[in-house]
Amino acid sequence: MKKIVTLLSLLFLTLLGIITVFPFIYMILGGLMTYREATSIPPTVIPDSFQWVNYLTVFEKAPFIQYFINTLFVSLVTTLVTVLTSLFAAFALATLEFRYKKVVMVGLISLLMIPYESIIFTNYNTIARLGLLNSYTALILPFLTSIFYIYYLTNYLKSISRSFYQAAKIDGASDMEYIKKILIPMSKPALVTVGILTFISSWNSFLWPLLVTNDKKFRLLNNGLSAFTSESGSDVHLQLAAATLTVLPIVLIYFIFRKEIIRGVAKNGIKG
Amino acid sequence: MGKKNYNSENQLKAWYFLLPALLAIFVFNIYPLFRAFFMSFQKGTLINPRFAGVENYQRLLSDPVFFRALKNTAFYSFTVVPIALILSLAIAWVIFEKVKYKSFFEAIFFMPYVTSTIAIGIVFRYFFNGSYGLINYLLEFFGLPRVNWLDSVSMSMPTLILFGIWTSLAFNIIILLAGFRNIEKEHYKIAKMFGANEWEIFVKITLPQLLPTLTFLLTVNLIGAFKIYTQVYALFGGQAGIAKSAMTAVFYIYDKFHVAGRPGLAMAATLVLFLLILSITFFQQLILKKVGRKR
Repeated sequence: MKKIVTLLSLLFLTLLGIITVFPFIYMILGGLMTYREATSIPPTVIPDSFQWVNYLTVFEKAPFIQYFINTLFVSLVTTLVTVLTSLFAAFALATLEFRYKKVVMVGLISLLMIPYESIIFTNYNTIARLGLLNSYTALILPFLTSIFYIYYLTNYLKSISRSFYQAAKIDGASDMEYIKKILIPMSKPALVTVGILTFISSWNSFLWPLLVTNDKKFRLLNNGLSAFTSESGSDVHLQLAAATLTVLPIVLIYFIFRKEIIRGVAKNGIKG
Repeated sequence: MGKKNYNSENQLKAWYFLLPALLAIFVFNIYPLFRAFFMSFQKGTLINPRFAGVENYQRLLSDPVFFRALKNTAFYSFTVVPIALILSLAIAWVIFEKVKYKSFFEAIFFMPYVTSTIAIGIVFRYFFNGSYGLINYLLEFFGLPRVNWLDSVSMSMPTLILFGIWTSLAFNIIILLAGFRNIEKEHYKIAKMFGANEWEIFVKITLPQLLPTLTFLLTVNLIGAFKIYTQVYALFGGQAGIAKSAMTAVFYIYDKFHVAGRPGLAMAATLVLFLLILSITFFQQLILKKVGRKR
């Protein structure tokens, strides 16, 4: 009886594992097929010869390299600034004593309840009135900090004893020196997690860049990809190649930082 | 907490460190909230708004498309969330109990979480294609009738739900696995000593111990599902399904705000959605507290 259960469980796991991974594998394979192969019945699994030319065609039809550079730039700046502002705020909330600290904390926690989708459209308004539509600033500005990561880092920094701070003060270190020499090294795992997860969600963002950019020059990969999909009509093999281009960098990062990413999400329940 | 000794130097410094974050939060989180409320009572364009009283709300409540959007959103949430949760629980259990290479499977099942929904939506559109799609081919292969997944009013929502389940498994599985790992090993040892079988152990030990994790997932998943938007856009190529049959709440807001140029109406819809999400979270906490007391 127990053996049957084990066998059935493993069968179930294998089946769902295949369902999970297969779309990725077929995305890569389909991107290397000819149009005829990609739309054949019965479906082609392995193309006769890999059509690397599809990628050239994609680059000819849409400025994916520009999209790639835009996305990389916006994601990197967003990540760097978010980590810094969140760290500074968390430092103040975890280490320093000041009046109204509780008020700030409670305020931040209640702001966590607000769905991002309910403020994104008014943020569009703000950006439009500042005359910033179609610019890198528009893509970055609303994401200069993250309430969730302030909250998360504050809890993390609280576990670092205050005696470190007092000792550093006695040694005549400034706050900046304390942050640089003690706080950052000691909270490195948490900062790496925050950084990677911010980068990934920035890379995958869709609705905000869709709202504030319509100029190809400032488009991000996801929006470029979705525009390309509607422009290229039925050229599925090209769409799959373009999709592979968008996903590949993140999958690479994922496999390099797998442990940090999974640990970060599992510990804090970060929902992208 | 003993006596508080705020020294003046410390206080000013604290605000100085908080300033960049608070400034960004004020401009892009707090202000837009009030602004949305204010705008929901205005009509006209963004550049030329006029006061409209409750007109937007009246219009909203008489718009059948808005009701379809709410109905679809609720239908999506109340099917995807439980199905995905049960599937994830089963997968996490098998990984935790039956598999040697746990981190391998963990890595596999988590992949969808980090990848772009738009890109994966292209693959699913391809699979769901009526004429050359893989899914219809497999259906035919097993002697089942072909299905018009993407271009039929009655199938839009089921197709969206299938895609939604696929995209929500990853997060659940990782959180559940962490939950499994936190259960005391001693409980299992004792249960096995008393000769409990796997099912009894699961129901009597694992499930109650996982209750906080499941509660957390239920809340986060429901809130997430109520904000469904990108999946729709990805699956139906920028449309809300054929004849708006897969219209969801956020899609409706986007449509009214950005496509139809009716920001007031969009903001009224936003506030309705916001209140809905808030009350669902509230009722859920209430029910869970009651259930918790009975146990």
